[in-house]
Amino acid sequence: MTSGKRFARELKVAWAIAVKDMKIYYLRPPSLMFGILFPFSMFLSFVIGRNMPLSRAIPVLVAQTVFFAASTIGPVSIPMERRLQTFDRFLSAPVSLLTVMLGKTIAGFIYGVGISFIPVALGLSFFNAQITDPAALGIGMMLSAFGFAAMGIMFASLPGQGPGQVMMPLNFVRIPLLFVSGVYTPIQNLPSWGKVASAASPLTHTIELIRLGLGGEGFYGLAVNVIILTFYVIVFMLAGMRFHILNQKRE
Amino acid sequence: MILEYVIEASSLTKYYGDFCAVDHIDFNVEKGEIFGFLGPNGAGKTTTVRMLTGISIPSDGWAKIEGYDIKKQSVEAKELMGIVPDISNVYTELSAWDNLTFTGQLYHLSKSDREERAHELLEMFELYDRRHEKLEDYSRGMRRRVCIAMALMNRSSILFLDEPTSGLDVQSVLTIRDLIRKLNHEGLTVFLTTHNMEEANQMCDRIAIINHGRIAAIDTPERLKRTAEGLQSVEVSFETPTLKILDDLKLLTGVKEAQKQGDKFRLYTEDPPKILSEVWDYAEKNGLKLITVNTLGPSLEDVFVKLTGVKEKPKTGGRGGMRGRRKGMGGIR
Repeated sequence: MTSGKRFARELKVAWAIAVKDMKIYYLRPPSLMFGILFPFSMFLSFVIGRNMPLSRAIPVLVAQTVFFAASTIGPVSIPMERRLQTFDRFLSAPVSLLTVMLGKTIAGFIYGVGISFIPVALGLSFFNAQITDPAALGIGMMLSAFGFAAMGIMFASLPGQGPGQVMMPLNFVRIPLLFVSGVYTPIQNLPSWGKVASAASPLTHTIELIRLGLGGEGFYGLAVNVIILTFYVIVFMLAGMRFHILNQKRE
Repeated sequence: MILEYVIEASSLTKYYGDFCAVDHIDFNVEKGEIFGFLGPNGAGKTTTVRMLTGISIPSDGWAKIEGYDIKKQSVEAKELMGIVPDISNVYTELSAWDNLTFTGQLYHLSKSDREERAHELLEMFELYDRRHEKLEDYSRGMRRRVCIAMALMNRSSILFLDEPTSGLDVQSVLTIRDLIRKLNHEGLTVFLTTHNMEEANQMCDRIAIINHGRIAAIDTPERLKRTAEGLQSVEVSFETPTLKILDDLKLLTGVKEAQKQGDKFRLYTEDPPKILSEVWDYAEKNGLKLITVNTLGPSLEDVFVKLTGVKEKPKTGGRGGMRGRRKGMGGIR
């Protein structure tokens, strides 16, 4: 079999895994709670009473929903599948682990893009938001959704028998990232250590791209944002795979 | 290339931290046989299956499936096998049809092929009429059947069954056993792990007994039983079984051990004819009415206990009990 045919075959399996995850996990209570309710309620708790201009508020909501929604599906599906041993089906099937990871990441990616499209649509329909750079917005939402979905998969490789056991360490990372990524506090106003942390945070580059797309300004520039997010996509995918292989050795 | 064995394991080992769950085991499975892997709970049966099927990575040693190394050529090896784990790992949120067609996708079957195969298997397992119902509405036995059907989607040549009948009702057990025999007659090699000795005795061409992660014996059920030929016994029942009778029977000459098993007494001996006459005399002297007398050869359970030192709780599995080989039915009425 040629490598092209094998690649196409693996992609089909990844898509099948993603579709199966969409059917089973998108409407599960933990997905709805951590993927939708959590970012929207956090956003409201920060925005209400702060006189934040809408031009700043909509990109924040978009970035936050893509961040939380995309990184939620893996931590919901994988621990449940491990507990019910349905994850073993992938491990005993003639597919590579990368294909399985890709399928799971696609499921998180579509969830992230789909949910974050809601605040974009709300902004455009009711709050006079305008898309000034569709490429920046599109790349920002998609690359971020892919990266954060892969981040969720990486965390889901932590040993645990339920989504809660993965969500807890994941939230220890997700919530602090909100404060160093220029989501609520502009990067210019952060202390020097905060600026370093901000540059290293993938969420910083998500919000920058989305701001650029919706008529705002960035701190690092589009190219840097894209390079850093791409770097994180690769790191999260490889680290996730590595952790899952370690699990196979341990189990 | 002619392959003698379809499953080969050499020095297969699994450590969990410092604990050695499977300790350098070696065995081969021939094409077309039902190979039983018998052992008490925690002996290492499931761990072995997980390593053979690529779910878990061995700490040491290797395993080959039709010549393909499960670690180095895992995709080729996995294409040849189907797996039914110890619990029915089906997607209960999906229908039987969706479970089967999704499995077909994992095995790269074309749309028409997987639909044709799903149709065929659901008919075979008598689930076709309920194919669109979610599995959460299915009984445990029906889910088990779906799980086995999923393992057959890829027309595998080797089927791994890990405790396939555990926890099922008698009817489901019989259905699944008949199905396994049918599939085996059609050429499928079956690797069956069980702790049900009657199941192993009835189903398997050869059995490996595993205990504490090590293989204690591998042979055909009958040859294994012959290794315990010294464990012959006489089974008797009286019209009124009492514990005093048990105490008396223990004192008969030649009785190595006596047990009360339900309404019967089982007397272990190396000389069954002598015990028969002793029992007859005892019954006459005490005015007891004998109902049945049977001489029994060693059962697989006896061999298992001898090799492992583990006294398993008897499992009937729906057909017969954990009984020895009956040499003579001496029903007396």
